[in-house]
Amino acid sequence: MKRKNLRFYFRIYRKILAQDLKSKMSYRADFIISTIGMICTNIAGFISFWILFRSFPEVNGWSYHEILFLYGFSLVSLTPVQCFFDNNWSLRMYVYSGDFIKYCFRPINLFFYYQSEVFDVKGLGQFAFGIGTIIYSWSKIGLPLTFLMVIKMIIFLITASLIMIAVMNAAAATCFWITNSFYVMDLALKFKDYARYPITIFSPVFRFIFTFVMPIAFIAYYPSLVILRPDEIPLLSWLSPLFGCLFFWLSYKFWMYGAMKYSGTGS
Amino acid sequence: MSGIIEIKNISKEFKVLNRREGLKGSIRDLFSRDYKIVKAVDNISMSIPQGEIVGYLGPNGAGKSTTIKMMTGVLEPTSGEILVNGNIPYKDRTKNAQEIGVVFGQRSQLWWALPLIESFRLLKDIYQIPDDNYNSMISLYKSLVDIEDLLHKPVRQMSLGQRTLSDILAAFLHNPKIVFLDEPTIGLDVSMKSKIRTLIHALNKEKNTTVILTTHDMGDVDALCQRIVIIDKGKMLYDNDIEHLKGFFGSYRTLKVRPAGDIGKQAEELEKELKNLSVSITADDEWISILVNEEKSKVMEVLGTIQKTHDIRDMKLEEISTEEVIKKIYEEGVE
Repeated sequence: MKRKNLRFYFRIYRKILAQDLKSKMSYRADFIISTIGMICTNIAGFISFWILFRSFPEVNGWSYHEILFLYGFSLVSLTPVQCFFDNNWSLRMYVYSGDFIKYCFRPINLFFYYQSEVFDVKGLGQFAFGIGTIIYSWSKIGLPLTFLMVIKMIIFLITASLIMIAVMNAAAATCFWITNSFYVMDLALKFKDYARYPITIFSPVFRFIFTFVMPIAFIAYYPSLVILRPDEIPLLSWLSPLFGCLFFWLSYKFWMYGAMKYSGTGS
Repeated sequence: MSGIIEIKNISKEFKVLNRREGLKGSIRDLFSRDYKIVKAVDNISMSIPQGEIVGYLGPNGAGKSTTIKMMTGVLEPTSGEILVNGNIPYKDRTKNAQEIGVVFGQRSQLWWALPLIESFRLLKDIYQIPDDNYNSMISLYKSLVDIEDLLHKPVRQMSLGQRTLSDILAAFLHNPKIVFLDEPTIGLDVSMKSKIRTLIHALNKEKNTTVILTTHDMGDVDALCQRIVIIDKGKMLYDNDIEHLKGFFGSYRTLKVRPAGDIGKQAEELEKELKNLSVSITADDEWISILVNEEKSKVMEVLGTIQKTHDIRDMKLEEISTEEVIKKIYEEGVE
């Protein structure tokens, strides 16, 4: 048996993805309706934003376009969790029915195998929205467009994505203990809405929570400081890629620990 | 010679919360640390050589699935040793998975939306099956069952029988050394059952695959298994040839009679009338089966008693069936 390296997993994922997309086409109505839903959600988000900023031209030293930048940033960084880790939402069903055990019999990584099963195309619409918002606010703020800036942007978008993935993994994995993780996941998803605002508007207690307990400040705020406020970048911003990897790794370990513990007692 | 599966004195214990009754009890349970230990598997040992089909039997909740989960590496035994193909399943779960195939009766492991052939291709990649082996396996399948139509049908559109068949084919695809089949014929019609039995038998012969089969259908056992292992309440009751087991019950005969009139009603009457002859009675659509232990009462005596009060249209005498043997063991154990 050959060793299973990253290339092996990448190839498997590509194949599963291609198959999944093929089969998605067979549910056309579902695809169209959910895409429309996604667009409506985003438009509603924009409108509430716009209304808010008609009354307050700036929030705590942040201008309308800067906050818009944060918003776009958070949309893009939420795309990977939406696209690649959407099966987390079904985890509780598999655990409840006992069907989860079927994932334990394959000679590949359990976490990978489980997540690879679903690719959510809807995330791509959100991605396009987010990119559009970033480009618009970028030009309005008058940020310079250099190679270095783009690289920074990409690195910090990946960081932010990792954090969001970590939060959802951990929230989903709670179902290995409490069976119904929907409310935990829903809570986590609600919290992510706060990620759109500069963390300085919250009280110190919440600032601490959003940084270390529920690290949503890393989803948009800390990473985008690097772009928006190049003169006053806090240490936490530079550390955020590290935190991204760390949180992701921890959530993976937590997920796997739960999975092994669960299959120990389930059905 | 040591077997492909070697199990020595394994036990598995679960911690179960002592539940109290009523709403009050449920609230108190929330804070309770009052656990009791349940032994799902209690000191079981067995050795299974390569190429054997073993029927693993026991009533519901006997510990069959728990044992299988330990052999597949999903569960870690509380004590004892398991070696599957030289690996300790729990420690080398993925390595072990490469050499085994698993089918759980009603839980398809295939990709729901994909046509079967696409699932096969994915499995080919996951198990890293070389092209030659893959192609020869597919042509073997084509020679054994009619899968042309099935190959291009998404799993979600298949009937239960087709799905089970597909699952079994998928489990054998990477030519594993051992295949675990957990109630593969559950819920299937007679012709599908026989199709699946023939398939399992042929694959076992062709590839010398060891098969561990759990089932409640004695038809599966009669068609496939030489050796059976019976467990109940976590303890092993029996591990030997099926013929040997029937030897225990050599003095038993099954007398089948078909009376005139309603079978169910007459079976009930017979139950009362034959009370002191120590027989056990079951009835199906056509026959009333009376299991007679010749050491206690003679078949002729039983027949005579029946004829006095009932009009018998037809009758036959049979050896004890596997089904009745297993039923007796579940009820009374092996002396």
